[in-house]
Amino acid sequence: MIAQVASVSMDADVLVIGSGAGGATTAAVLAEAGLDVLIVEEGAWVEQGSVTPFSLDQMDRQYRSGGVTVALGLPSIAYTEGRCAGGGTEVNSGLYWRPPGELLERWQHDFRIDDFDPDEVLSICDEVETEINVRAVPGPFTAPSEMLRRGAAALQWQHAEVPRWMTYPHGNDPTKGERQSMTRTYLPRAVAAGARLVVGCRIDRLEVAAGRATRAATTLSDGRTGSITFRHVFVCGGAIQSPALLQRSGVHGRIGRTLAVHPTVKLAARFADELNVPDDVPVLQVKEFAPHLSFGGSASNPGLIALSLLDQWPTFRRAITDWQRMSVYYAAITSEGGGRVRSVPNMRDPIVTYRLTHRDRELLRSGLARLALLMLEAGAEEVFPSFRGAPAVRTRRDLADMQDAFRATRATVMTVHLCSTVPMGGVEARCGTDSFGLVRGCRNIFVNDASLLPTAPGVNPQASVMAFAIRNARRFAATGGSHG
Amino acid sequence: MLALRTGAHPFSRHLTATMPMPMRPVPALPVVGSFARRLLAEDLPDLPAARRREAVTFVARRVDTLPSFTRFGVLAIGLLFRTLIAVPGGWSGAAVLMRLPLPFVGEYPRLIRSLAFAYVWEHWPATTSTGACA
Repeated sequence: MIAQVASVSMDADVLVIGSGAGGATTAAVLAEAGLDVLIVEEGAWVEQGSVTPFSLDQMDRQYRSGGVTVALGLPSIAYTEGRCAGGGTEVNSGLYWRPPGELLERWQHDFRIDDFDPDEVLSICDEVETEINVRAVPGPFTAPSEMLRRGAAALQWQHAEVPRWMTYPHGNDPTKGERQSMTRTYLPRAVAAGARLVVGCRIDRLEVAAGRATRAATTLSDGRTGSITFRHVFVCGGAIQSPALLQRSGVHGRIGRTLAVHPTVKLAARFADELNVPDDVPVLQVKEFAPHLSFGGSASNPGLIALSLLDQWPTFRRAITDWQRMSVYYAAITSEGGGRVRSVPNMRDPIVTYRLTHRDRELLRSGLARLALLMLEAGAEEVFPSFRGAPAVRTRRDLADMQDAFRATRATVMTVHLCSTVPMGGVEARCGTDSFGLVRGCRNIFVNDASLLPTAPGVNPQASVMAFAIRNARRFAATGGSHG
Repeated sequence: MLALRTGAHPFSRHLTATMPMPMRPVPALPVVGSFARRLLAEDLPDLPAARRREAVTFVARRVDTLPSFTRFGVLAIGLLFRTLIAVPGGWSGAAVLMRLPLPFVGEYPRLIRSLAFAYVWEHWPATTSTGACA
């Protein structure tokens, strides 16, 4: 373990709050530029391989609030946040999508991001892909992936393998990869360059006066309180915690008002033969209707299969004993709705809300129906949609009934992609930071994580987050934090 | 009752209205326990008592770790259900309440059920649909 235990009093030239995709890359760039960097992580260091992926044990040890976090709304949307060294990169599916070039151009144009060259961002993606070993799985797909491929092929829908940032040191078994998460890549790089990483240390708030932050109030995992002094601070706690910390510190403006997510609805599909892979997810995604609608596979251990059936338990319960012949799949949409993150006096955690639009609800409805069709074409004997009042789907004729019964308010809606709560750019009315992550109205507080993405990218955002963070950290290193 | 822990803080002169002040936790088990036990008895009538106890303990532990506002809401709704099922015939009323399309109230049984089911099938994957050991 390269992490240290936090102490009551610490100091640094640059404080980096959070050690996930944004924080780890920021710290590596700045430490390698010769700066004195302290990375502070609220969660623990959990050695990769010491927990079963997607298990309740992992939720306890590596997720915030045991993985039970929700954006309130009609319907409420369940989401998850990593809370450990490496952040979300330790717990997510390890799938990698570059930000599409046209999306980068749209962000640049719509948000007037200065000195933003899409080619430069994609060039940084090249570096990232080498560092974290982005590659296709060796050998054949797992059976749940193969079902997606088979269904898409039958319908002649576009589909593709999504590469992962994995190594496969134990041969060609696609389920035995070792994720090249931040604890394996950028955090060791940062520490090798002189950065210090401390775990078990929550930043309660920043002391801000006249636009300058100088100290952070901390609570250590043993309950002691303390403080950290610094010259510059990078807030990289993710799209929920970063705006919440800024608000708790009295920094407002365009902070936390524009939460964007990719809402998903799910179903469980039962096939004739055993196919369940309890501790991995499919790498194949169906992109026929992208970017508005995408299909893929979810973690499917027996507990998660049970979850997928519980909305209609009286009639779906019979399927649970067949969990080895079942897998869970999702339909994800790009939402036109929006959400907010609000810190509330006397509350430790922020309130998160999200509102789906009518178009979003209809897209979830049609998405779930298309996903059910995809599964039938893949050979599913029966499909169990996850919403109250759902009928089981056995043939194409059942799809209309399913669509009629669907209400978004009855569905289990989830998301794992949260972003855009402090968007960056030159449009003051829309952007919480300037074009390099400097918080408006502040002189030394930067945000450098998923919060900065101007909108939800329509694909897994990790590559975008890492590329933005590296770009901004390089700019900081080159200018000494002065953008003027 | 929910109580606030107060005290001087080194940065108190700079505190804004959004100062985080941790709440003293109210244990969830007394609030959600009876409802969770009853719900599991209805959904999984053959689940052995020891497993049911274990699952209910897990549910309460997870509710204890919810984000503060969510936890407050869950405990408030949990109190409503606990009160309801404590009176004779109250479970029928609770069942009606669960079926109504009420925002947030309807999500409480879903939360309890999802935590319990995830625990049961992760720990004992051979459990049948009635909760019996296969």
